[in-house]
Amino acid sequence: MSAVQVPPGASPPSTAAARRHRLPVGELVVVVVLAGLGVFALVEAHTIAVPTSSNAVGPRAFPYAVGAVLVLSAVGLLVALLRGERGEVEGGEDVDTSGGADWAAVGKLTAAFAALVVLVEPLGWPIAASLMFGGAAWALGARPWWRALLVAVVLNTAVHVVFTRVLGVYLPAGPLEGVVGLG
Amino acid sequence: MTIVVGYVPKPEGRAALVAALEEADLRGEPLHVLNTSKGDAYSDPGYATEEDIAEVEALLEESGVPYELEHRLGDRAGGAADILEAVERLSASLVVIGIRRRTPTGKLLFGSDAQTVLLQAPCQVLAVKA
Amino acid sequence: MGDLTGLLEGFSTALQPMYLLYALIGVLLGTAVGVLPGIGPAMTVALLLPLTYTLDATAAFIMFAGIYYGGMYGGSTTSILLNTPGESASIVTALEGNKMAKAGRGAAALATAAIGSFVAGTIATVALSLVAPTVARVAVQLGPADYVALAVLAFFTVAAMLGASPARGIASLALGLFIAVIGTDSLTGQQRFTLGLPTLADGIDVVIVAVGFFAVGEALHVASRLRRGPIPLVPISGKGMTRDDWKRSWKPWLRGTAIGFPIGTIPAGGADLGTFLSYATERKLSKRKEEFGHGAIEGVAGPEAANNASAAGVLVPLLTLGLPTSATAAIMLAAFQSYGIQPGPNLFAAEGELIWALIASLYIGNVLLLVLNLPLVGVWVKVLQLPRPYLYAGILTFAALGTYAVGASTEDLVLLFVLGGIGWAMRSYGFPIAPAIVGLILGPIAEEQMRRTLAISQGDPTALVTSPFAAVVYVLVVLALVGSQWLKRRQARLDAVVFAQAQRDEERLVPTGGTSAEGPSRKDHDSRGAR
Repeated sequence: MSAVQVPPGASPPSTAAARRHRLPVGELVVVVVLAGLGVFALVEAHTIAVPTSSNAVGPRAFPYAVGAVLVLSAVGLLVALLRGERGEVEGGEDVDTSGGADWAAVGKLTAAFAALVVLVEPLGWPIAASLMFGGAAWALGARPWWRALLVAVVLNTAVHVVFTRVLGVYLPAGPLEGVVGLG
Repeated sequence: MTIVVGYVPKPEGRAALVAALEEADLRGEPLHVLNTSKGDAYSDPGYATEEDIAEVEALLEESGVPYELEHRLGDRAGGAADILEAVERLSASLVVIGIRRRTPTGKLLFGSDAQTVLLQAPCQVLAVKA
Repeated sequence: MGDLTGLLEGFSTALQPMYLLYALIGVLLGTAVGVLPGIGPAMTVALLLPLTYTLDATAAFIMFAGIYYGGMYGGSTTSILLNTPGESASIVTALEGNKMAKAGRGAAALATAAIGSFVAGTIATVALSLVAPTVARVAVQLGPADYVALAVLAFFTVAAMLGASPARGIASLALGLFIAVIGTDSLTGQQRFTLGLPTLADGIDVVIVAVGFFAVGEALHVASRLRRGPIPLVPISGKGMTRDDWKRSWKPWLRGTAIGFPIGTIPAGGADLGTFLSYATERKLSKRKEEFGHGAIEGVAGPEAANNASAAGVLVPLLTLGLPTSATAAIMLAAFQSYGIQPGPNLFAAEGELIWALIASLYIGNVLLLVLNLPLVGVWVKVLQLPRPYLYAGILTFAALGTYAVGASTEDLVLLFVLGGIGWAMRSYGFPIAPAIVGLILGPIAEEQMRRTLAISQGDPTALVTSPFAAVVYVLVVLALVGSQWLKRRQARLDAVVFAQAQRDEERLVPTGGTSAEGPSRKDHDSRGAR
């Protein structure tokens, strides 16, 4: 329990009660996905090839069990949901549970991560990870952008040197191949 | 006309507050004390606690100078932007800030709020050394 | 090799300067990351895993021991100075410790936490050195059906203890089991749930799942609901422990150890429970009940001791049975497996040298923590001034780094982010993460043992319950299910008492601010995250 100062105008915690009356679309989606995953497991388990020489229990039994547990837990959750039980957003020191989700920030973060996936091999770790770090920090509200990028470059150059030189982990250097200390 | 002072719970902030009080008394102008934080870290030593604020209020009450106290989370741009915004909003006649010694690297990495205020304030600036 | 000889040899390994350095690095990194309020010990261990990839097994596990103990310890510093526990096991420390700090006794609170952690950690490590080999000798006689029973016990207790409702815990567990099935069946070589994708043929690396669920999931969760605003930091004041403080602390240290260690050894969802029980005990036994809620030193000493004692207790089932009872332990088990080591009853025989070096480094880690932490409090306070955007960008970077370092594959990075999305969804709708991780790691073991049991019995399913040990364990499962609901209600009641107290305190505070100023609004916030 802690007292935390929030910016003026933040909504009071009573929104949780208000949310209770709304249709829990998000949670219904989760339950449906869970049930779907269970059904998928049950159907797919049926297609797993069983070697004829197999012992009493083959590779299908456990997947069947897992599929059944998935479906059962989805049913249990649906019943709880219809009875008015709602999942609480997990709290935390850095999380403001009073408002809704900030999709723009999540989108920017996803874009930053996608950039890393696409660029890490052509441009190498130092450049790609710096863009990712800088982008992620900016998405989370770091200003000005050039300072976030500066921190990113310093950190990722250091990470690259420590991991490739000291720890012997492979990371691509990209066009920086051959630069002293990096390639 | 108002005098704006940027307060931080550190020696340079207290020096600025004392100097600003004298100046306000001299000029017969009200004082606007400002303390903000970007609020992006778990702890910000520049953001005044309840105790700091109580101390500041006691000092202000004692002086008898008319004052306003602005203690809040600022925008994401940080200290200097909040001070300049207050100066603009109140059409202040003077802004008082506290300064301390900084290394060039520190200034490069973290910027200097004092320098930004000195260069961009539309009014007189009084820089007080701790 | 006798146990004592083994331990002494472990010390002779762990005390070599190079290994001592790894222990030191582990302790410092573990504490530095553990201090950060948003990062629990499970995420700390998962994120720092890549650092050990290229080390030899001994060095890796010595460093790991340091990270584990350091991560557990870091949270108490934060909770005393910030009133936000860095990890859920430190919640009760935050109750009393922060009040003490506000009353100008911060140094005493930090000291009793540090010394209590050292005392409890050392006694519990001694208990570990004594108990673990004995348990291992008994466990050698366990058959496959008994392991199935133990796995079921762990599944149910972890699923029922953590999270808001058992249904959510079981859903999370089932998800972990599902992910564990993906890949090639180890017994028959058949592909399962791979959708014909070559990436999935080898299964999904446990490290990627853990880092995805914990680190990327948390980063997305925070990005979607970023809180702004610093938490008032209480300056460290006071002169350390007085004679009276010592007198009031030593019994809670010992009681906390006695409560924490056994709780850690049973599958009860990690360290949280021990700290709560210790707090409740101290409150009951104290002659100064009125001080509880206002900075009673017993309320810091007991729970902190219980916290560290259970950290050692968790290692007993992990090392002797290969049974992880918390998410952190599950990730450590995965680390063992990545070195081709399977914890279990034969571990002391097969890898004696390594295990005794690991245990010896736990003793060393405890000493390092005691020596380093009090003088370094200033450094940990500086760590808290890191802006959150940089912190979470860094978490994302290290998550990607750890994943890419496993196999230099961008497909793994995509997988990591998808798993992070799942972790985010779970956090958004109150699903606990830990059961999924335990299911992921224990699932394959449970399946293998189940199939072995049924192969021996020629398909007779009663073989799963006819072993006396297994039968006893299944009775325990039922008892644990009933008991966990009772314990949870108790914990909720304690929570409610403390919450009411916090609210009363809040009301006494008058918002600050001058005539035109907007006083900061306040809001109570339950900082108990199920990590």
